[in-house]
Amino acid sequence: MALGEWISESKNYIIGVVVLGALLAVVPYAVGFDQYTILLLATALIYGIFVVAWNIIGGYAGQLDLGAFAYISLGGIVSAQLLIVYGVTPWIGMFLGAAASAGLAIIIGIPTFRFGIREVWYALLSAALVVIMNNIFHMPEVLGSLDHYLPSFNGWIYLKFPTYENIYWFITIALMFVIFINLMISHSKIGYYLRAIREDELAAEALGIDVRKYKLVALAAYASILGFMGYVYIVIQGTFSYHTFNAPESIAIAIMGIIGGLGSIAGTLVSGFSLKLLGDYLRGSLGATIPGLHLLIYGLLLVIIGVFEPEGFAGIYRKYFRRRGRK
Amino acid sequence: MNPILVTNNIIDGLLMGMLYSLVALGLALIFGIMDIINFPHGDYVMIAAYISWLIAMAFWVDPSVTALLTVPLFFLFGAAIYKSVIHPILGAEPLIQIAVTVGLGYVLENIALAIWHAEPKSFPAPWFNFGLNFSGISISVAKLIAAAVSIASLYLTHSLLTKTKFGLAMRATSANRLIAPLMGINVEKVYSITFGLGIALTALGAALYMMWAQTNPYLGSSFSLLAWVIVAMGGLGGVVGVIYSGLIVGVLEALGNTFISPSARLAVVYIAFFLVLWFRPRGLFAKR
Repeated sequence: MALGEWISESKNYIIGVVVLGALLAVVPYAVGFDQYTILLLATALIYGIFVVAWNIIGGYAGQLDLGAFAYISLGGIVSAQLLIVYGVTPWIGMFLGAAASAGLAIIIGIPTFRFGIREVWYALLSAALVVIMNNIFHMPEVLGSLDHYLPSFNGWIYLKFPTYENIYWFITIALMFVIFINLMISHSKIGYYLRAIREDELAAEALGIDVRKYKLVALAAYASILGFMGYVYIVIQGTFSYHTFNAPESIAIAIMGIIGGLGSIAGTLVSGFSLKLLGDYLRGSLGATIPGLHLLIYGLLLVIIGVFEPEGFAGIYRKYFRRRGRK
Repeated sequence: MNPILVTNNIIDGLLMGMLYSLVALGLALIFGIMDIINFPHGDYVMIAAYISWLIAMAFWVDPSVTALLTVPLFFLFGAAIYKSVIHPILGAEPLIQIAVTVGLGYVLENIALAIWHAEPKSFPAPWFNFGLNFSGISISVAKLIAAAVSIASLYLTHSLLTKTKFGLAMRATSANRLIAPLMGINVEKVYSITFGLGIALTALGAALYMMWAQTNPYLGSSFSLLAWVIVAMGGLGGVVGVIYSGLIVGVLEALGNTFISPSARLAVVYIAFFLVLWFRPRGLFAKR
């Protein structure tokens, strides 16, 4: 589909995304540059990016990826180490980090996306990948058990600032890009192929769709977005270590994606953003007495949604607010 | 390489491998007979290990004895999980099916974290945690007992599947779940019992494991990985395939732990898993 045709067809979406971006961009002014609020929102928005990116592999391609932080952390650590050891600016490092994550993802995808191989094997390999990467980076030859810090330079060239509003704006722009990538995939041939594969892999293969190729394309898109944003995630966290390969949080990304609604950009964005805010609030207020309470709630929500409303937030919204009109 | 160290590791790996086979057998039953992906199988081991620890502490008995209570308890727990959560999603798309079981494991893991926090727990006065020494080669008595009980249970399950009428019903359901009810088989009953049995086996494995080891909320993820690798290697080739794969995985893990690095323990298993999926996706011992 030509770009002009695509723009005219998705005009409403594009206007919506631009309006959302503009609204998000003025929030730091609205809260009077309160650093704590901006950090909180920046963290929730970057989770929004992760979950909207997850929608490409989980929502469109129907593959249960449970390894988000394998790709986020690998990309982030590649970029951070390039900056620390060789002084390479993250503007180059982030692309190399994205390439590293996509490469790793493709290696995992090649054997598991073959026709006739059950979905469970990719889910397992990706879930275990986070644990294995965590173990490997824990070895003294790699990162060891210490926390590593980014150099103390600040400025746009290092994407690192003494205050949080600049990184918040960077995340907002990145979010717009990720939503556009989602829209383009969703409205292109790849998107239709992926949905066909998700609905019925056997029929898709019979119609001549190269199932493995399109699943790998979706996986590479997802992993490179995560790998690219990894550096920003590390900037927000302030440090990185083998703990950055966080298995429970990786599953949390997939849970947010499913709760938001498979294939729904708005649903996944809302659920990523709001569940991360809820999680941080619970961890801040009750984390010391009941550790992992927010994760427990995510898990319960997933079981409830999976059993009663597999279409997630998007399905609930359609049921109660749009009984008539478009499906 | 020191031959005594290698021998010790291989013996240790073989003994652990029997225990892993026992845990993986439950997963293989659920996967093979019901075609349900019980993704977080290891988390049931983790929760059972905590329950064994609680009972052992309360009555001051060795954790192995607690199996008498935990195995029937987890059979009922498994059947209840099947009825309440697994049954409603039998017809759902694969992603949702896997995701709901992932959610269950996540709930179990975080309940453990919420109640017992992250400190490891172990029984302080185990009965069998000592070694027998044969000119440098030492064998842990606790692991020997665990391996013996595992073999006996694997044999019993094998007999259940091959020699009883109910085993025949289970195999018939596995072969064709649409035709089986026409032959007068109560598929619902077969499913609840199979799921209960699969979960009961994790409780037995956990009670044996607690004879010498510690439990923590993240124990589940390594047991899940080990169990799934064993099922992937064994294919759906029955109990014998599970035992061979369990022994291979146990030895690989022990050797990786000693000769590469304790951090590489699971990485070695993971690479083996990856290679099996790449070159023998139907497993090393599959019949079909």
